[in-house]
Amino acid sequence: MTGLRVPPGAKHPDEATAQRSEQHAAAAGGRTAPGGPGVFGVLGWLRWAWRQLTSMRTALVLLFLLAVASVPGSVLPQQGIDPQSVQQYYASHPSLAPLLARLSLFNVFAAPWFAAIYLLLFLSLAGCVVPRSFRLARSARALPPPAPRNLARLPQSARHETGLAPGDALDAAAAVLAARRFRLRTGDGWLSAEKGYRREVGNLLFHLALLGLLGAVALGGLFGYKADRLLVAGSSFANTVTSLDEFHPGRAVSAVDLQPFSIALNRFTASYITSGALRGQPSAFDAYIRYSAGPGSPTRPYDLRVNHPLNVDGVKVFLIGHGYAPVFKVTDGTGRVVFDQAVPFIAVQQSGLTSEGVVKVPDARPDQLGFAGVFLPTAVDAGGQLESIFPAAENPRVSLVAYAGNLGMNSGPSQSVYQLNTAGLRKLPISPRPLAPGQSMKLPDGAGTLTFTGYQPWVSLAITYDPGTLPALLAGVAALLGLLLSFFVRRRRMFVRAYPGADGATVVDVAGLVRSDAGGGFEEEFEGLAEALRSAHDGHDVTADVTAPAPAGTDSSSRTDTAGE
Amino acid sequence: MSVNFGLAQLSNHFLICTVLLYSLALLAYAGDFAFGRHPSKGETPAAEVPELVAAGVPAAGVPAASVGARSGSAAAGYESAGSGSAGPGSESAGSESAGSGSAGPGPGSGSAGSGPDPTGYALRLPASAGQGGRSRGSWLPAGSWVRAALVLSALGLAAHVIGVTTRGLAVHRVPWGDMYEFVTSVTCVAAIFFLALMIRYRAYYLGLFVMAPVLLALGLAETVIYTPAGQIAVALQSYWLAIHVTAMTLASGTFVVGAALAVVYLLTDRYARRVAAGRQSASVGAFRLLPAPEVIDRFAYRTVMFAFPIWTFGIMAGAIWADTAWGRYWGWDPTETWAFITWVVYACFLHARATAGWRGRRAAYIQLIGFGCLLFNLLGVSIFITGLHSYAGLS
Repeated sequence: MTGLRVPPGAKHPDEATAQRSEQHAAAAGGRTAPGGPGVFGVLGWLRWAWRQLTSMRTALVLLFLLAVASVPGSVLPQQGIDPQSVQQYYASHPSLAPLLARLSLFNVFAAPWFAAIYLLLFLSLAGCVVPRSFRLARSARALPPPAPRNLARLPQSARHETGLAPGDALDAAAAVLAARRFRLRTGDGWLSAEKGYRREVGNLLFHLALLGLLGAVALGGLFGYKADRLLVAGSSFANTVTSLDEFHPGRAVSAVDLQPFSIALNRFTASYITSGALRGQPSAFDAYIRYSAGPGSPTRPYDLRVNHPLNVDGVKVFLIGHGYAPVFKVTDGTGRVVFDQAVPFIAVQQSGLTSEGVVKVPDARPDQLGFAGVFLPTAVDAGGQLESIFPAAENPRVSLVAYAGNLGMNSGPSQSVYQLNTAGLRKLPISPRPLAPGQSMKLPDGAGTLTFTGYQPWVSLAITYDPGTLPALLAGVAALLGLLLSFFVRRRRMFVRAYPGADGATVVDVAGLVRSDAGGGFEEEFEGLAEALRSAHDGHDVTADVTAPAPAGTDSSSRTDTAGE
Repeated sequence: MSVNFGLAQLSNHFLICTVLLYSLALLAYAGDFAFGRHPSKGETPAAEVPELVAAGVPAAGVPAASVGARSGSAAAGYESAGSGSAGPGSESAGSESAGSGSAGPGPGSGSAGSGPDPTGYALRLPASAGQGGRSRGSWLPAGSWVRAALVLSALGLAAHVIGVTTRGLAVHRVPWGDMYEFVTSVTCVAAIFFLALMIRYRAYYLGLFVMAPVLLALGLAETVIYTPAGQIAVALQSYWLAIHVTAMTLASGTFVVGAALAVVYLLTDRYARRVAAGRQSASVGAFRLLPAPEVIDRFAYRTVMFAFPIWTFGIMAGAIWADTAWGRYWGWDPTETWAFITWVVYACFLHARATAGWRGRRAAYIQLIGFGCLLFNLLGVSIFITGLHSYAGLS
């Protein structure tokens, strides 16, 4: 029936590595197979479920689900990426937000249902890929199948004649194919050769690398940590939990695991475009820091920039933000200097870097003092209202509202340093005139004096440690390599048969078969191989005939003739 | 470094020329469809055969028989080639039958079963094979409409390349830093890829379908999202811009061609099925000029196979850049998320095409969904969703 029929004894390990769709077909067709007809049993169900899970169809559906499940994560604000937007969403959709939160839609990529999808997908992947790897390892030593009887029926075929005896012709053909690194198998009057095992290797490598990538991500989630720290020029900090502003440890990280480096910010410069359409856009940030890998280690300078992080002991330190910290000196009602330091203000508007902040003076007597202020780097008067028109400090002004009373810092819940709790405070009637550096304002009722002595830049640093980064990179490179191999390597077989022809010459049939239509170009390769075989047999009374023979005596040959008409 | 405004101006002029030339080319492609000299009625039946065979209709031909034989050969471990290898098999049939009508461009195509033609697809493009035959050795196809279209496309592409290059020279960096530049570069890649495909495989009839979206995108870029040449944000000033965005540009441009091919596939497939069902005469309708659906499908598949590793590499390069710029290699930023979704959907396409029951129309729809995700990432995410990748330069 088929010209490609293979002797029943011949084993072809590569079939086993075939597409998953075939597995699915087996699962669907052999549904009752495990326990015989009608008997399904627990084991049968399990086996059925496993086959379903590892089938290509299920993998496709899970892949699709993964894509669909990711969509809300990009459309809705996410807790882990932008918590402020989540708060805003709660404020603007008070009834909908709690419902969405219950479905983990503000934390999609950590949601149980998202994890369920990708874990099922990776399980399905593992269930398919791991057995295939073993089969590949076994088939790596196996020989190609014997040549089919009628080579003319294969997609690529050619015939020529030679003066060589059939055995010698096959030997010559074997030499040609072996030189091209085909794996050979010879039989009585035939030769089969195979090449391109790297295709399946690449396919497996790709899928195994994806499993490796998942492992790398898990590694980072367990042993990595993220932290933030705001650092004013002229100050320093050590990498300990208490001196970090924010600390998000991985599940298996404790305080003692932190690398003991310390960083001091000497100077920070920001350059901005001063003309054109992009005026005010930053063009460069440089944070000149000094760091030490640990107590007793030497201190080294480093120019920390965007896209140019510092790497200490595998921990990376990034420059992610900057701003201004106006310096205030406060003398209280008793004449003591009770405050003299830089206070980081946070930008509330990017193009002019208008920043807000609060000053708390708990040591002031008779009353504690508090100030809420706005810092304007380049202040201009726009219709009676001050605003900043450029992010560099070209005309810095600070505008303050003063309070006196009880700051509420000695009791109650801990306070944010960026917010003033005005419950126990009374507003002081002060002049609304903004202060230039060096200017002071006298507080009413003998409460004291505040001097805006100047300003310092601050930078915000992100500190991340992710031991999964390198494994993830390696897995990614392996996946790409596997992808390229599986896409552009063709698994192909060549078959040669040599037998005595009618006129005494030896007839050589050559045929080729390629496993996938993906790479293309096998036609050219086959032509080249057929030509090489022909010329190897050349010089021995050749009557080369390029055209394939019309297969004689088969049912399909009769149809050949009708096709042309 | 400051922007060279003279060069920026030059770039604008060249890109406007590009739009004009592409418009004329598109008109010529359409004119070829409508008025071009196509195989006469006498040739048409010969040209039909490969389509029918390729469509798997049990026509009375060798290949059909050998396809049947080979589907049994699945047992020999080549089941995935079962229907795939029907291609080459029926190609030789195509050469056989088409060869009787007009001389195919390949050597030895007149003789039955000579093995495949080196030009591969040419044989499956009956009408253009005829054109190739008539052009008498010239690399240009016969037919004044299609010649004009090809020349106009080539001129347009030259202007396009110059426009993109001068923009890059004007701003002293790779010219894909904002959305406008990105769209002009992506369309340039699509045009280059398409012209290469067209000349390599003589697939002239695809011009209408590929150049139309290219022209549309470029026209919209010039009118709606035009951004004057300028410097880019600090976060983008890294050699990773050249690596990551270049890969994304190349992949996106190629995916444009893939999507156009998917649309052509769906149209030709519908036509072929109507013909098979007898509801449509095979000798009328513009689609009879297009290659068989299987050929288009393979074009589309190979196009995606070319673009997918580049897209993968682009995502990886982006992850490495994100690791040095933002301190994490993956953070589910909206643009990252949509790049991931696009990757997953194209992976679905590649798997679907290798799975029985999902090939053909379903796979083509999946590919179009993937391209939709890519477009949404380019337009929707850049415009409506704020994230770390908000560099479009639109306000």
